[in-house]
Amino acid sequence: MAKEYDVIIIGGGITGAGTARDCALRGLKVLLIERNDIATGATGRNHGLLHSGARYAVKDGESARECIRENQILRRIARHCVEETDGLFITLPEDDLNYQAEFVKRCGEAGIRAEVMDPKEALRLEPSVNPDIIGAVRVPDGSVDPFRLCSANILDARNHGADILAYHEVTSIIVESGEVKGVKAVDKRSGESLEFRARITVNAAGIWGHHIASLAGVNVSMYPAKGALLVFGHRVNNVVINRCRKASDADILVPGDTVCVIGTTSTKVPFEECDHMSVTPEEVNLLLREGSKLAPCLNDTRILRAYAGVRPLVASDDDPTGRSISRGIVLLDHETRDGLKGFITITGGKLMTYRLMGEWTTDLVCRKLGVRKNCLTALLPLPGSRYKNAEDLAKKTWSRPSYGQKASRGRHGEMAGRIVSENDIDKSIVCECEEVSVAEVRYAIENLDIHNLIDLRRRTRVGMGTCQGELCACRAAGLIAKAGSCAAKAKADTAAFIDERWRGMFPVCWGDTLRENEYAEWVYAGVCGIKYEGEVHQ
Amino acid sequence: MKFDTIIIGGGLAGYSCGIRLQKAGRKCAVISTGESSLYFSSGTMGLLDAEDPVGELDKLGPEHPYSKIGRERFVEYASQIQPFFSEAGISLEGSPLGCRWRMSPTGNMVRCWMAMEGVTSFGEEKPYLGAKVLIVNFLGFLDFNTAFIAETLERSGSACTVEAVKLEEFERLRHSATEMRSTNIARALDREETITSLINAVKPLAEGYDTVVLPAVFGLSREGTSGKVARGIGVDTVFIGTMPPSVPGIRTQMQLSKSFQALGGRIFQGDTVIAGNWEGETLRSVRTANIDDMDIKADNFVLASGSFFSKGLAATPYAILEPALGLDVDFSGDRNGWYDLKFFNRQNYIGFGVRTGRDFRAFRGGVECSNVYAAGSVLSGANSLAEGCGAGTAVMTALAVADNILKEE
Repeated sequence: MAKEYDVIIIGGGITGAGTARDCALRGLKVLLIERNDIATGATGRNHGLLHSGARYAVKDGESARECIRENQILRRIARHCVEETDGLFITLPEDDLNYQAEFVKRCGEAGIRAEVMDPKEALRLEPSVNPDIIGAVRVPDGSVDPFRLCSANILDARNHGADILAYHEVTSIIVESGEVKGVKAVDKRSGESLEFRARITVNAAGIWGHHIASLAGVNVSMYPAKGALLVFGHRVNNVVINRCRKASDADILVPGDTVCVIGTTSTKVPFEECDHMSVTPEEVNLLLREGSKLAPCLNDTRILRAYAGVRPLVASDDDPTGRSISRGIVLLDHETRDGLKGFITITGGKLMTYRLMGEWTTDLVCRKLGVRKNCLTALLPLPGSRYKNAEDLAKKTWSRPSYGQKASRGRHGEMAGRIVSENDIDKSIVCECEEVSVAEVRYAIENLDIHNLIDLRRRTRVGMGTCQGELCACRAAGLIAKAGSCAAKAKADTAAFIDERWRGMFPVCWGDTLRENEYAEWVYAGVCGIKYEGEVHQ
Repeated sequence: MKFDTIIIGGGLAGYSCGIRLQKAGRKCAVISTGESSLYFSSGTMGLLDAEDPVGELDKLGPEHPYSKIGRERFVEYASQIQPFFSEAGISLEGSPLGCRWRMSPTGNMVRCWMAMEGVTSFGEEKPYLGAKVLIVNFLGFLDFNTAFIAETLERSGSACTVEAVKLEEFERLRHSATEMRSTNIARALDREETITSLINAVKPLAEGYDTVVLPAVFGLSREGTSGKVARGIGVDTVFIGTMPPSVPGIRTQMQLSKSFQALGGRIFQGDTVIAGNWEGETLRSVRTANIDDMDIKADNFVLASGSFFSKGLAATPYAILEPALGLDVDFSGDRNGWYDLKFFNRQNYIGFGVRTGRDFRAFRGGVECSNVYAAGSVLSGANSLAEGCGAGTAVMTALAVADNILKEE
């Protein structure tokens, strides 16, 4: 691994990953450095919503336009990460139906297809929606798997020569003669201190960008805005359901793979809380109450887990008090802003505008380096999405795929063809809820940079389904142990995985969720006799 | 329809109580949904996670079921356990008041009291299985973690080799990716030919090894298969429990219900109690889901319906309930007090349950019932997971309740 780069990108979330891909595609020598696993910040804790932009149409036309453009691009380049579900904006009896007309008009102005539907038609399209709706508008919302999207960007970056270092934490930023020259970092697993140099360093660390900026001696005023969400035990709706009114709490229900997610809230929290997020009972009650207005059956649906993420909101530069907070994309050239050369911060934005954020950042990096290359990220499909259409993909991979193979094709796109499934052992199922085979787990271990069960979960959905890893944790750990990682470590990792799983469940632990956790306790603490004192994973 | 005693719940506690009463000539019925927590047993029973269980009794507090039974009766029942189960066709290895050790599916050593046939229990916490150990698994069986077991044995100084055995008889199983489960493997192993194939495959591999380790998937329909395998292999063989479902646990469950029926007990299988008909503190009859046009009467009732997983208890966001008869439940009012943030720490909700008096009569609306008792994990006062007293509580309280009922009459 070289120590000198054209650009170092700090942060392995979607922003860092997208920027790394763009830079690598333009021929730059890139290092991406991330303190945990990829997608562990806001990227791994959001709604998974592929916005049509309709939500912003009335209040923020520019954001709306940005959204629908990126929405269309992602459908093309990230096909295997996106589900084209469409969405509904529903009006309930207590809402103002007049808002709908304004909503539809503004969507049209932003280039967002918004089709007014008869409520009865809407109910036929989406049977789980509240039967009392008095209005519905259909828009091109979708759902996106942020882990898959992040992983695909990183894979492409690596394929084009980028170095990717996860589990390495930046400890200081090297500043010499008023210029940022690189970073010092520590390998969290070995404890080794390392130094990396580059002509430009990009701060893509999300809410932790505030801290990274301070390491460089500059201030970026950020406001951690916590959002809480609930994952339900099955995919109640097939179409995204939104409230057709001014944006508020808990008014979006998003389907994704085998589950659905209700969100979200917005509460300012102190920086210290960003590394230890937990969901409060008040947040749970609010999400359930508002969520059941969108789909009444949520009241009786098992809740799998509760989680929270932090939005990296940034104060606009000419208001350092932070009272005007921007939810838009924020690109800061610290050379012009603070007189510090070689340092850029890219933050704010949304999951689905990551590519645009990457483009702007890379344009700026290239300008500074005198590199004249065009951005290709909107044109070139990500690895996994390089097929014309679903039938094409079906023909290319297997002649008669099993359910597990079809599921893995859904997860990895054409890359699923790389999963070697030669015998019956390979076809054995590790995760029954998500149909993940031994072959797929082995593929992930060998190719997708996995160090523990939680990394595996992010790449393959092992443990994300209805049992949340209860049945498959041990099976997957056995495979990781066999693949060379030491068995003692795999044992500790199993315990850490089960402990982390519980953190998401205890805020919603009653009814079937409590039943199910009692079972998990008896299996892991009882039958397996595991005792665990360690730290909880991010 | 009238019985002397109706037992709600067909698990370890329910059937033990029923067997005791049938032996004393009573006419009993068990109303059971069908399965029980024996399905995810470790294959062993726990009395108390302590080297000297009797010595620890004083530390348990007056509300613990063992305290309600009292030291004298506790010791007496402990000595009756093995003969009681042996008469029911269930062999248990262990000593009445001592403890042994078992190796878990993840290679952890856990204290145990009695081991079911087909699961090996050890006399010490760190058993040494010899210089060379052969761990044999069935190819494609993911619920037996050979890497974890090898790691534990290697720490004790044994050199371990892992072999996966592929038997013709399992090929059919392997075609469907989810069929390589302990119970399906065990079903195939119930056949003589499969056992012979297995012995023929393992015996040559086992030459030169001090011990052979196999998963505890032998003997789904009857005891004795694991012994046959061990003798056939000709080398010391040790059987380690797998992830659920538990083959010894299921066999024990089946044997309990068979034995209860053989004694004349009646089972309402696949049924649930949905309501009770009360006269003051006396329960006259119950209504079940399947038999909705007739009430089932009895002089006495025993609630042995299990904990949350078995639906003997239910949790709303604000309260814990007993759904079948609406009995009083002991639980903490603040939901934050139900759990610990760390999964492997003591979880208080596991200790919640039905409130009972000294003789295990349940309470309803603050008043002690005259003829309704509770036994097993539905009881309050014990955190069976943290204390390691699950099976012990089930059988001890089952015997105590049966004896209390007999004494009353």
